[in-house]
Amino acid sequence: MAKAHKISGVKPLGSYRENARIILPEKVEEVYTWEPFVRDAARREELHNMRISIKRLRYTMELFRVVYEFPEECSKDAVAADDKRFAEFFAIIVDLQEILGDIHDCDVVLQVLTDYTCQSASDAVVLGSLSATGKAGIDRLIDQTRETRKADYKKFLEKWDQLSAVDFKRKLLSFFLT
Amino acid sequence: MVAEARIAAVSPDETLEACARKIIVRYFHQMMSYKDGVRVGRDIEFVHDMRVTSRRLRAAMDNFADCFPKKPFRRHYKKVKAITRTMGAVRDLDVLINRFQKTLDNLPETEQTDIQKLIVHLQREREEARKPMLTLFTKLEETGFETQFLEFFVGKV
Repeated sequence: MAKAHKISGVKPLGSYRENARIILPEKVEEVYTWEPFVRDAARREELHNMRISIKRLRYTMELFRVVYEFPEECSKDAVAADDKRFAEFFAIIVDLQEILGDIHDCDVVLQVLTDYTCQSASDAVVLGSLSATGKAGIDRLIDQTRETRKADYKKFLEKWDQLSAVDFKRKLLSFFLT
Repeated sequence: MVAEARIAAVSPDETLEACARKIIVRYFHQMMSYKDGVRVGRDIEFVHDMRVTSRRLRAAMDNFADCFPKKPFRRHYKKVKAITRTMGAVRDLDVLINRFQKTLDNLPETEQTDIQKLIVHLQREREEARKPMLTLFTKLEETGFETQFLEFFVGKV
């Protein structure tokens, strides 16, 4: 797992609000460092790292939500609008995290099933009890999981393309900075 | 998933340092509140909740690191990281066991046996994975981790 990027320019004695504008954009940039790899379904490690970066962004958004619930411009309408927009951005981030989580779960399951098959085969050779039917259930699960992974990845890519088409990154950064 | 802890006591106009202390302490208390349930080991949700909260705590610590003296901060951070890591091994197995149990009904009987064997194998691995986690809990208690952590981030217990 890739380490969280070091955040520069944090001001411990500055306001929480001021620091939200420093920290949140850095978390967004961390997510987008993985963007060059999203079109390759085989980049399991990079997709996993993107999921972790998105999770970090999500948790950081939770931390700073209060800043957007009580914006500096305190008209009732402005407060409601900021809160609503925050909730919309947040829902998208959670959605991305969950889709990438599903992909990662499939990768883990496939790894476990493959390892287990290899281990069972080598144990069976030692014990002289290798049986073709002994792994039919495992083989079926491997096939099912591969199909699920393919569908999850397609769903992720469609979502990512939709977001890119509406300039999601710029809008998110602009929201955090205003 | 464990509900996001709302940071109600934080005001956007307070200093980052003051907010950081409150948030870190709040997440820390929440994380430790699951420890006894994790130790018992019957309900897998305790492991999940403690792990997720440890991740939220780490995210806060990553963001607020500059508010604290580097060396003691790193020491506490490493321990929280060790908690996440040892719990991760158990949680991953819980998820797998749960997932494979759900697939059983959709398979022919002969193939169910294969998956049941796999589940038994994973349950044994889970028991092994719990050991380093429980050892870590004991070690943290013996070395006064909780008190030291709170002394550092609150200034008093």
